[in-house]
Amino acid sequence: MLMPRKVKHRKQHRGRTTGMTKGASSLSFGEYGIQALEPGWLSARQIEAARIAMTRAIKRGGKVWINVFPDKPVTKKPAETRMGSGKGNPEFWVAVVKPGRVLFELSFPNEEQAKAALEKAIQKLPIKARVITREEVI
Amino acid sequence: MSQTTLVASTGRETGSPASRRLRATDQIPGVLYGQGMTPVSVAVARRDLRLALSGPAGFNTVLQLEVDGKTYPAVVKDVQRHPVKRNVSHIDFLQVNMSEMLTVSVPLHLTGEAKAVLNEGGLVDPAVDTIEVECTPGNMPNEFVVDVSEMQPGDVIRLSSLVMPKGVTALGDPDMAIVTAIHGSQAEPTAETAAAVEAPEAE
Repeated sequence: MLMPRKVKHRKQHRGRTTGMTKGASSLSFGEYGIQALEPGWLSARQIEAARIAMTRAIKRGGKVWINVFPDKPVTKKPAETRMGSGKGNPEFWVAVVKPGRVLFELSFPNEEQAKAALEKAIQKLPIKARVITREEVI
Repeated sequence: MSQTTLVASTGRETGSPASRRLRATDQIPGVLYGQGMTPVSVAVARRDLRLALSGPAGFNTVLQLEVDGKTYPAVVKDVQRHPVKRNVSHIDFLQVNMSEMLTVSVPLHLTGEAKAVLNEGGLVDPAVDTIEVECTPGNMPNEFVVDVSEMQPGDVIRLSSLVMPKGVTALGDPDMAIVTAIHGSQAEPTAETAAAVEAPEAE
């Protein structure tokens, strides 16, 4: 699973997710992609699950790009622990996502199969998302 | 080269709230600037802009922009899009001199089916989707079409092999790969990330 090699601070505040993505809202590498439609946290496990779903669906002959990286640690207190005694231990890593962010990109010769693969990947994500192509509207 | 007339109104109020109100009336706020002129804040009707840019040249259409009774030859320099709706929220027009050289990005289109590559389970991978060229507005090509049907696995089409129309010069390294035919084994769906590294849990 994806995670940073080393971090400056082990624990982070949760933070607030407001507004829309500042960049990365259009396709940069592939012909198709998955765009987030709502804010949320994607855990490394969910990103990996989406990637596996996508690559299994296209079998071979494609190229996948992951545009998000889980660099935010999330802590959890052990079960049945009394409150207090400081912040819990880092348990997993998440990527903070805002609406409009392109999460994955895919190059594949068959458009129908590519879109079906991306739909399968969307099923693994905890947020609403959609499949986008390079076509632009005015 | 294709030329289209587009009417732009001036005197719009600037600033975010005013621009938001303008967009609600299906107008797009924009700006017209160029050498030797003071930038002018303009607004264009979304429908008119869509029609003007729906020609064969797309966003590289040379527009005859009518502003306050004067006509300026202009090209679209930049567009800002809404991150989710993906429609145009602001547009920059650059006034051009029809005899002066201009740097533009021309879209690259691939035609044909590289059967030899696909049969092997490979992939025709376009490394770029636009080619930067220098030309006068009158010589601006609509697009570059590259035929990939004869490509074999491992083949690379470079910028130098692209035939430029008269008066058009490609910018960039002539050895730059623009289309690559990836072998079947290389085209296995592998993930690429900025820093895809596995490491023990952070301390």
